[in-house]
Amino acid sequence: MSDENSQNNAADLDVRQSKPSIWRRLSFVWLVPILALIVSVTVAWQSFAGRGKEIEISFANASGIAAGETTIKYRDVDIGTVERVEFAPDLQEVLVYARIDQNVAPYLDDDTKFWVVRPQVGLRGVSGLDTVLSGVYIAGDWDQVAEVAQSRFVAVESAPLRMSDAPGTEITLRTNDGSALSAGAPVLHQGIEVGVLGQPILQQDGLTVLVDAFINSPYDRLVTSSTRFWDTAGFSVSLGTAGVSLNVGSLASLLEGGVAFDTVVSGGDPIGPNTKFDLFTDEETARSSLFNDAGRPKLNVAVLFDGSVSGLSVGSEVRFQGLRVGQVADLGAVVVDDPNQARVELRTVLAIEPGRLGLGEEATPEDALNLLADFVSQGMRARLVTGNILSGSLVVELVEVADAPPATLAVNATPYPVIPTTVSNITDVADQAQGVLNRINNLPIEEIMTSAIDLMDSANALVRSDGVMQTPEQVAGLLSDARGLIGSESIQAVPDQIAAVMEQAQKIMAQVTGVIDQIGTADLVGSVTRTVANVEEGTQNLGEITASAQALLDKVNALQVDALLAQATDALNAIEGVANNSDIAKVPVFLNQLLDEARTLIASGDVQALPSELRNVANSANQILTDLTAENVSGQLTNAIAAAASAAENLDAASQQLPAISEQLNTLSANAAQMDLESLAKSAENTLNSIDALVGTPSAQALPASLSSALDEVQLFLNDIREGGAVENVNAALLSANNAAQAIEEAANSLPELSRQTGELVTSTGQVLSTYGDRSRFNAETLSTLRDIQEAADAVSSLARAIQRNPSSLITGR
Amino acid sequence: MESTGHGLQRLITAREAGLIACTRCGQVHAGGAVRCKRCHGPLESRDLQSMQKVWAWLIAGIIAFIPANIYPMLITNTLVDHSESTIIGGAVELVSHHNYGIAAIVFVASIMIPVGKFIAIAYLAISVHRQQILKMHQRHKLYDVVEFIGRWSMIDVFVVAILSALVQLNAVATINPGVAAMSFALSVVFTMLSALAFDPRLIWDADRTA
Repeated sequence: MSDENSQNNAADLDVRQSKPSIWRRLSFVWLVPILALIVSVTVAWQSFAGRGKEIEISFANASGIAAGETTIKYRDVDIGTVERVEFAPDLQEVLVYARIDQNVAPYLDDDTKFWVVRPQVGLRGVSGLDTVLSGVYIAGDWDQVAEVAQSRFVAVESAPLRMSDAPGTEITLRTNDGSALSAGAPVLHQGIEVGVLGQPILQQDGLTVLVDAFINSPYDRLVTSSTRFWDTAGFSVSLGTAGVSLNVGSLASLLEGGVAFDTVVSGGDPIGPNTKFDLFTDEETARSSLFNDAGRPKLNVAVLFDGSVSGLSVGSEVRFQGLRVGQVADLGAVVVDDPNQARVELRTVLAIEPGRLGLGEEATPEDALNLLADFVSQGMRARLVTGNILSGSLVVELVEVADAPPATLAVNATPYPVIPTTVSNITDVADQAQGVLNRINNLPIEEIMTSAIDLMDSANALVRSDGVMQTPEQVAGLLSDARGLIGSESIQAVPDQIAAVMEQAQKIMAQVTGVIDQIGTADLVGSVTRTVANVEEGTQNLGEITASAQALLDKVNALQVDALLAQATDALNAIEGVANNSDIAKVPVFLNQLLDEARTLIASGDVQALPSELRNVANSANQILTDLTAENVSGQLTNAIAAAASAAENLDAASQQLPAISEQLNTLSANAAQMDLESLAKSAENTLNSIDALVGTPSAQALPASLSSALDEVQLFLNDIREGGAVENVNAALLSANNAAQAIEEAANSLPELSRQTGELVTSTGQVLSTYGDRSRFNAETLSTLRDIQEAADAVSSLARAIQRNPSSLITGR
Repeated sequence: MESTGHGLQRLITAREAGLIACTRCGQVHAGGAVRCKRCHGPLESRDLQSMQKVWAWLIAGIIAFIPANIYPMLITNTLVDHSESTIIGGAVELVSHHNYGIAAIVFVASIMIPVGKFIAIAYLAISVHRQQILKMHQRHKLYDVVEFIGRWSMIDVFVVAILSALVQLNAVATINPGVAAMSFALSVVFTMLSALAFDPRLIWDADRTA
């Protein structure tokens, strides 16, 4: 054990000797973990310290943003990475936490904007193409001045209009129609893109659209307070009160839209940032508004029209006493709460420009509202009137209605004050055409027809009236008076005078006899013979004449004897009516005067001179005979005698046909006997009575004047005879008489055929007469015809009266 | 000698016999020798600073192992993607793709073995100072395993090195080693150095003093 102990002691000794102190025994290898620890801590510290500042960006949605992957860039340089994406406590938004480079972090102050860059393919090119592969990234923009650094940001919807380093001016455009505006659309000046549009934003009033625009430097100096902006989007065809206008912009603006501006008048003031401008619908409007207070606030008032506002559109004019004072800003239907039942009213919002109401440059909408309230209390009302007849577009007119029921401007109405309305004055072409048709529809056609019938009745009555019947009666009276005239002493005295003339003629004949004796059997007989030969030749023409007569009889046969008889009956009735007319009685007075005139005429020297004229004629004849004597009259006479003999033979042959004629005449007589002679007799009797009455009336005196003038004419005619070659005319007349005698002689040759034709005619006439004997049907038809005529006349009379009372009714209706 | 429960007869050590054996060539020298007569290597009966080295390297390995798991092992850049994968992240991703086998290999090789080594070395170092459950022979076997397995712990680093060397296709695809690769390699190296620094003869001494 001791050995063992000594060994142990020795070993312990060695060990103890080898580790004199803890520092001597401490190995250098301990430097390794210390170094590793230092390195690790250093690395960890560097990693922690260099990881950047954490910021929080709130997004509406985090589409495409991935924690650990999405980078944050400033001017396309990575400055950080999204670390995590969380929801806000109320889930309203997405909170994106990101580490930002420490070098950049101090610059993230109030003006910092973050937005998500996504690939966009538009008409103006492709942007963010790199994000297609790499995913979206968050871009940021801030100025180069480090102010109070922020750590919480709210992202914007899209890239801001202007970058912090882009020089230029930002303005705001105000319009009512943002349909043609899109973010990124160009702002053009003289066709050159000088700016860009932002996102159109609809304001809370629901009417106005505001869109920011950024004008690049140095073009922003072109924009002054006199600058007007207008929409160049697409092309517009407007059919306004000024006619049709077509506006086409560039192709890019056609597709994408855009606005243009121009400053026509100088003197505008420089603008500050975020100046508001009105955006006009087209260049024309913009230029025409240069002298307007477009930038001034407008007064919005509402009008509730009862009827349809078809034809009214946003932008339609608002006229006050014919002057444009504003335009229609909105059209819409609103449900009006009515205690009984809900109603829908059409609310038209008018944007009134106070400056145009005559209130001056500095007028405010409140001033305009007060003025309008005054006007309304004085009777001003709003109404719709036609702006363009062709297009049917309407405008709102503020007019003063003289007898308007009292009303006030509803100042406190929401959302806008309400102007009371009055009846609209719309002249629509279609409506007018409709109105015309309606008027035609409303025309009293039935009553006009009734009136026409009345007129016809009246005409019938007129025809039957005494006045009209006077004329035939007068004629009848005239005939009667003529008869009396013929029976008058003066006329009776004429034959006596003629007898005297005949005595003169007898003496002439005696002289002629003497002449004949003187000429003896000179060539007279030869003349007679030639004459007879002529007669014979004429006889040979009788055949043709007979054929003609036959054709004539055929035609007579074919005649509408029925109608003829009807007309005859009508005529008789008419004559009867005329004869019954009391005015006819006036005729005899005139006839008496006429007869006096005639008597005076006969007693005049001219008539008395007639016998002497005849004597001269006889002398002339005598001289002619004397001349004849000198010629070969005898031979001619002989021939004449022979011809006479031949004619006698023809007459003999003709006389053989007489029995047949007699038979046909008998038949005719029989037929005539069957006729309703009684009615005829009555008519004749009535006629005679009427004539008697006529003769007895003094009104017949109307005729003699006419007859007197007629006799004057006769007298003039006789004078003409006296003055002209009357003798030659008489000679010609004698020659014609001779020809006539020859024609009669020739006609006698055709008597048999004529007799046959006459027989047929008589037969036809008999048949017609027998038909006429059926008086009931004939009379009934006649009477009904007359009644119809009378009704028609009454109708026409009524129509005439109606038209006379109110001529315009034919056009305007009742 | 009392039985130590092994049933083996107690042997005296070279130190007890006053001898010093060269650890390199096996030449046995007298107790006072300082340098090996054959290979001129330094002679020590016991490496008195062994435990300090073990602990120092072990702590350094553990420190290096922390960033090896925190920082990305592989940085993969492709045309459309940029990914950084840690060791655990890669294993989890493999599991999510249902590649359980590969995930298990990665997990065992990159997590379990290093951690196991840490635990084994620490256990051995502690067991030198106090009575241990494991028998002396078992602890020797454990030491052999730790020392053997150390060289295979660099599989991850090899993979990363090979991939980084091969996949360098410019923009299309690039794989770069991350910070974790270096850290992991250092951790493995430190752990191996820690295992090497352990003097297994101390196991005997500990049993004898017990």
